[in-house]
Amino acid sequence: MGVPAVPMCTKAYTELANLTAAREGMPHLRQVFTPHPVGGKTDEELAAYLVNPDPVSRKQIMKEIVDDLTMPLSEDEKKTGMQSIAAGPATYGPDTADNLQEIFMNNGMTDYMPIVISTEEKVEAMLKGTSHHPDEVLRTPLQGVGYTSARWGYTVRQIAVNAVMAGCRPEFFPVVLAMASVGPLGLFGSTTSSSSAIVINGPIRDKLNMNYGLGALSPFAQSNATIGRSWTLMGKNLTNGGIPGDTYQGGQGNQLDYNNCVIAEDEKNSPWTPLHVQFGFKPEENVVSIFDGPDIRQGHGARGAGAQIAMFDEQISFMFQSMVGGDGALVICDPLVANRLVEQGYDTKEKLSDWLWKNTVRTAKDFRESFLASFHLYPLALQGREPYATWYKVPEDTLIPFFPSVTDINFVVCGGQANAFFQVANMRHGRSASIDKWM
Amino acid sequence: MKVNRRKLLSLLGMSPALLAGSRAEAEQKKKSAQSGAGSEPKSTAVSPKGTPPAIQLYSMAPRANSLDGKTIYVVDATSFLGSETLLKKMQVWFQQNMPGVKTVFRKKAGVYAADDPKLWAEIKANAYATVMAIGH
Repeated sequence: MGVPAVPMCTKAYTELANLTAAREGMPHLRQVFTPHPVGGKTDEELAAYLVNPDPVSRKQIMKEIVDDLTMPLSEDEKKTGMQSIAAGPATYGPDTADNLQEIFMNNGMTDYMPIVISTEEKVEAMLKGTSHHPDEVLRTPLQGVGYTSARWGYTVRQIAVNAVMAGCRPEFFPVVLAMASVGPLGLFGSTTSSSSAIVINGPIRDKLNMNYGLGALSPFAQSNATIGRSWTLMGKNLTNGGIPGDTYQGGQGNQLDYNNCVIAEDEKNSPWTPLHVQFGFKPEENVVSIFDGPDIRQGHGARGAGAQIAMFDEQISFMFQSMVGGDGALVICDPLVANRLVEQGYDTKEKLSDWLWKNTVRTAKDFRESFLASFHLYPLALQGREPYATWYKVPEDTLIPFFPSVTDINFVVCGGQANAFFQVANMRHGRSASIDKWM
Repeated sequence: MKVNRRKLLSLLGMSPALLAGSRAEAEQKKKSAQSGAGSEPKSTAVSPKGTPPAIQLYSMAPRANSLDGKTIYVVDATSFLGSETLLKKMQVWFQQNMPGVKTVFRKKAGVYAADDPKLWAEIKANAYATVMAIGH
């Protein structure tokens, strides 16, 4: 910008602020920190923050701001040019398997469960799972504004190392490459502890022996388990994500991060169009779709779940109402639920999405007081983005849809038909990619 | 400002990953020495790390000796709860303690990670400096 600037944030983010400033090219940036938090404090308490000491520097905050805007620059503060950083050694060892396990674990390169040691032989074997050149760059390192995970670069070979560590077989590798092609990768890092769900469609599900029947979301298939695990390992290693206090700020974390809820859709027993076809792919194509959001909840806790005749549309709507925010939903239906919904009249996923979008509503007041609205959606409303601009203009008691668009509600089908259960992921669709392209 | 070891290494151009790498090498030597027995098979593991970007260093903007007669934009960059109130209290502090300073309050457009070149141009045209509240 070319004018003196002093960023100010709360003490809780001291390390993140310092590391971010260094990565952005100003390692000596003059920053001011207030006590944490700012939200929820009275006017008097906030006024006191300004005349009390900065909890990091111990200087009185307003004096510190004035000094930061008027003190001459040091030589370090004037430095320009390029500074390279390294990612550590290219190899570890030679050493015993136990020692290598410990070295990888102690240095934040695992999910704290044992890995498959990424020997050169195993990496070469993994690379045979694709026709792509090992040195092909999927993402070029990029300096600039944005999440750290969007800046690191990676190649086919580097992805293969992580796939080996996760326990993937070479035939799984095209799926992992397709996932990596649509990064940012796992361990998103938001304070909301958001995680991912990974939906896989197409004939490859059977070729990889993916489980979409009984216990589809539990650890009963190597492909489901290791493909999901690779998403988190890639987030940690390929993009320097998952460093608590630095690139990871999730308050409570999320158990989904261990596997990222891999869902192979049961296309055969589903009465509906498969998810990837809804997104414009052909039925015979193999596709991976990534969803992001904070949680997945069991639908048998829904109001009306014990009724003699299940009205699943109303139960799903009830589950939506308890979500944090309203960015999107992924409803995971057992085939029994999907077929019952067809009996209720929803012979397409689109009809069901439309009914839910129109009938899951809240007042404009409830929306404005919701968790994400004030800092995530209100700025968009100020820019005139719809529907948020309208939702901030209408009277408080106006009923508005819970989700901005009908396309924010998606469905997949899987499960062993042991009971008519569904689950609702508080997650929105991010990206989809062809797996075939990576074979 | 207190600079911890991790940050210091970071400022020297070492990402936490490199810090991990350095520690890893030392740890590896220690482990090998402890295990003693050379009978166990040994292997070499390929690093799973991606490629970090080089960093462009920027000089901070030159400072004036005094704020007297200057305009400062106080910018709510994230719209987190309480940030607007805090900045408006800051405006009051300037009015009461440094009346020669003019302050202007602005909210950055877009969500917290979005750029706002229009606002940056306005600040560059009208202000000596900015104080930016970036959360939480």
